[in-house]
Amino acid sequence: MAITQAMCTTFKRQLLEGTHNFKNSGGSTFKLALYAVGGGGKSSTTATLGASTTAFTTTGEVANSGSYSSGGGTLTRVDPSVSGTTALTDFADISFTTATITARGALIYNSSATNAGVAVLNFSTDKTSTAGTFTIQFPTADASNAIIRIA
Amino acid sequence: MFNGGIDVGAVNIMTSDDGGHSTEQIVELAMDKIMRVSDTAPQPIRDQAEAFQNHLRHVLYHYMELARREERATIASRMHKAGNSEMADLVRRI
Repeated sequence: MAITQAMCTTFKRQLLEGTHNFKNSGGSTFKLALYAVGGGGKSSTTATLGASTTAFTTTGEVANSGSYSSGGGTLTRVDPSVSGTTALTDFADISFTTATITARGALIYNSSATNAGVAVLNFSTDKTSTAGTFTIQFPTADASNAIIRIA
Repeated sequence: MFNGGIDVGAVNIMTSDDGGHSTEQIVELAMDKIMRVSDTAPQPIRDQAEAFQNHLRHVLYHYMELARREERATIASRMHKAGNSEMADLVRRI
């Protein structure tokens, strides 16, 4: 019963199969869904997410509130780039407004590829907005910090 | 031998209650994207970088406050013209 930050193992295989396209123009549709632990999700479910997660699930997903609805929000892709010998990609920050949300983590998934899981994010602690804005800021797009890096 | 890997970075979460983010929060979001001061940089360079960072933070804060105030003024003006004077006053006083 936990959310463990990880790259989904199936995503690594799918990269080699050409399933995912992160280019800004014509790329896949990537989405970010929020999850709760300790029975804070829909129907009091709790999320268990990690490297073994294969696809988007509603189990443990936070309830609809404000601009957040099941499945989460669509991410804006930033063209992949290279820094030294590391390839990386990035997304624009995403916000859910007028929302009452308590989330412990998130799943990035590809809705263009049967909701295939990409990466699980762990927020370390519960993060809460009350009738407010819940913003996920992606890290600096460099070889040491970018959200997805291949060294 | 191949020494590499595929990694996922750490995100930063910012939340607010009873409304949107404050100007201070937005400035911090922007600052995280604009510049970072390396922990391993020599002290004189760190001092200079941090001084510039603080200056930048103040400039951003000032102009973001101005942008928010001017946006509210535009919205209030449109509301007033549309006959919603009470709502216009509420927006102006935020």
